[in-house]
Amino acid sequence: MSHHVTPLHLLPKGARATITGIASHSHFGELDAQVTLRLKELGFLPGAMLQVIGFGLFGADPVAVRINGTKFGLRRSEAAKILTTTHQA
Amino acid sequence: MGNPNCGKTALFNSLTGARAKVANYAGVTVEKRLGSLAGLGRPAELIDLPGTYSLYVASPDEQVARRVILGEMAGEAAPDVLVAVVDATNIKLGLRLVLELQALGLPMILALNLADAARSCGITIDTAALSQQLGMPVVETVAVRKNGVADLQAALAECAANAGRRSGQLTLPERAEAVEDVYARIDKLLASCVSAPSHAPVWQDKLDALVMHPVLGLVLLATILLLMFQAVFAWAAPVMDAIEGSMGWLGESAGALLPAGILHDFVVDGLIAGVGGVLVFLPQIIILFAFILALEDSGYLPRAAFLLDRLMRGVGLSGRSFIPMLSSFACAVPGIMSTRSIADPKERLVTILTAPLMTCSARLPVYAVVIGAFVPQQSVWGVFNLQGLTLFALYIAGIVSAALVAWLMHRREAASQGFPLLLELPNYRWPNAYHFLLGLKERAWIFLRRVGTIILALSIVLWFLATFPHAPANATLPAIEYSFAGMLGKAMQPLFDPLGFNWQMCIALIPAMAAREVAVSALATVYAVGGEDALGGALAHDWGLPVALAYLAWFVYAPQCLATIAVVRRETNSLRATIVFTGYLFALAYLGALLVRQIGALWA
Repeated sequence: MSHHVTPLHLLPKGARATITGIASHSHFGELDAQVTLRLKELGFLPGAMLQVIGFGLFGADPVAVRINGTKFGLRRSEAAKILTTTHQA
Repeated sequence: MGNPNCGKTALFNSLTGARAKVANYAGVTVEKRLGSLAGLGRPAELIDLPGTYSLYVASPDEQVARRVILGEMAGEAAPDVLVAVVDATNIKLGLRLVLELQALGLPMILALNLADAARSCGITIDTAALSQQLGMPVVETVAVRKNGVADLQAALAECAANAGRRSGQLTLPERAEAVEDVYARIDKLLASCVSAPSHAPVWQDKLDALVMHPVLGLVLLATILLLMFQAVFAWAAPVMDAIEGSMGWLGESAGALLPAGILHDFVVDGLIAGVGGVLVFLPQIIILFAFILALEDSGYLPRAAFLLDRLMRGVGLSGRSFIPMLSSFACAVPGIMSTRSIADPKERLVTILTAPLMTCSARLPVYAVVIGAFVPQQSVWGVFNLQGLTLFALYIAGIVSAALVAWLMHRREAASQGFPLLLELPNYRWPNAYHFLLGLKERAWIFLRRVGTIILALSIVLWFLATFPHAPANATLPAIEYSFAGMLGKAMQPLFDPLGFNWQMCIALIPAMAAREVAVSALATVYAVGGEDALGGALAHDWGLPVALAYLAWFVYAPQCLATIAVVRRETNSLRATIVFTGYLFALAYLGALLVRQIGALWA
């Protein structure tokens, strides 16, 4: 297992990873704390495992991931908040 | 209450016998809904709430759920007992909300819905242990098949016997514990009560690989939409011919029975021609709704929203606007209602203002008649028929215009901070045959009721206007020129002269404000012909092609629907927005029709 931290939006398709933390992101301005909270409520918590299952049309945006058996579509800016370490295949 | 798309409304329907709309995507229900609940030993009312992930963070529809539970809704009783619904295939997410609700201290029952789907995924849940650890009754249910509904009813009855009346408002307690800790508790709960395999069924993932592929997925989406419009035209034709034939027969037999005179004309030209002219479109509307219902129920729509998010962001919208837009193909009124699931107020406003540009099913009859009269029935490249393609082009015109308008509105406003997309992609499932047929029946019934009430009434009024006063004895022109309808049409006509509309076309615009379909029966009455083909013949004889196209362009844009204007007023809660909405659409309609006519005239 590598200990290199990668934000979710930079993971390749099919990658499995463990979340290490949720970072703040300037894109959401004063709503950032709310977005962090909502991500956590949906299960994006440190220690949770996820898998990248697909991308939208242009530039890997949005990203589809599976976490706890549920699939979510996230935009790049939301995905960038989610820090992960990848599992070696 | 519970997470979005866990089956609350399906459960509500089976408990109360209601027929609220059910589909497979988050945010179908955007308003609370009441139903009476029998068999509890005392009168009780069940409230169905929009889904929510949390009591703390909320879009407009999620706030409804929170306010009802806390008793903040003015003038309404707050619930005494909560039924928390959890999707058994996605129990972790659901339980988080359950624990949040539990902190409110109300009596609660937990319904593990979609229990059959969970079993077929290999998930087993020890309900007794779960019930003991949570300290509330737990019932497994399959709402769409009514399994377990009796158990839930029994649990409710028991709960109702013990529960006292609550009084006053609750205040939402400050978050007692961090989200991380809640999940840690859930993990512990699940470890002791639930065993689940680590993987979802493989076919779902394979299907996702295709459907959500950036290129193939879009090709698939375009194919589905094109097939839908082709089907509306091609598959409906035989049934429409049959309906038209029987209407013609009805007109003739009724005509033969009645003595020639005013009553004969009223029944044959007013009633049968007017109502029959609209009724003929029932098969097309059923096919359109069959497609929309099947798509809604399959779980495909959120994926299409996912694919289109990036494109829609280009014009200041997001994937979240996709479902309201698609619903607007059926009717803009529910489409506009469903914008409540959009969290960003600005995006929601833009979606409301542009959704009516999507071609609703009431425009279909108008398009169909004009296309049928002016576009030759020939095949293009062997596969498509030209009429179907023209119809497709009209739909595209609406979509492109909506994109342009959204882009312009977006440009005018200062950039706001980002709102997250966070779109849940539900599991695929086969559309439930019962709900599918029920939905179709419902839509067909709504259409027939419109035909039987408002369209019938308008046809009668129109016939009177077109018949009285009678032409003078020495009349040289057709009788209608001397009637009220003729006068009215001629009074309006100068305004529409630049567009090339004749006075017959102007008359048809007025009743179309109440229901667009009536434009067709109005034209039939004005031209005193019955049946779609006969009307087409009369139009082809009287209108030029540029004018016919201009008429279509008018219908693409014009806010020809009082119900839509009313719902825009209600949902935006702003008179100004409503005036802007109505004004810009009329302006677009006028300009669009003018352009089409002038370009068409140059070309011809």
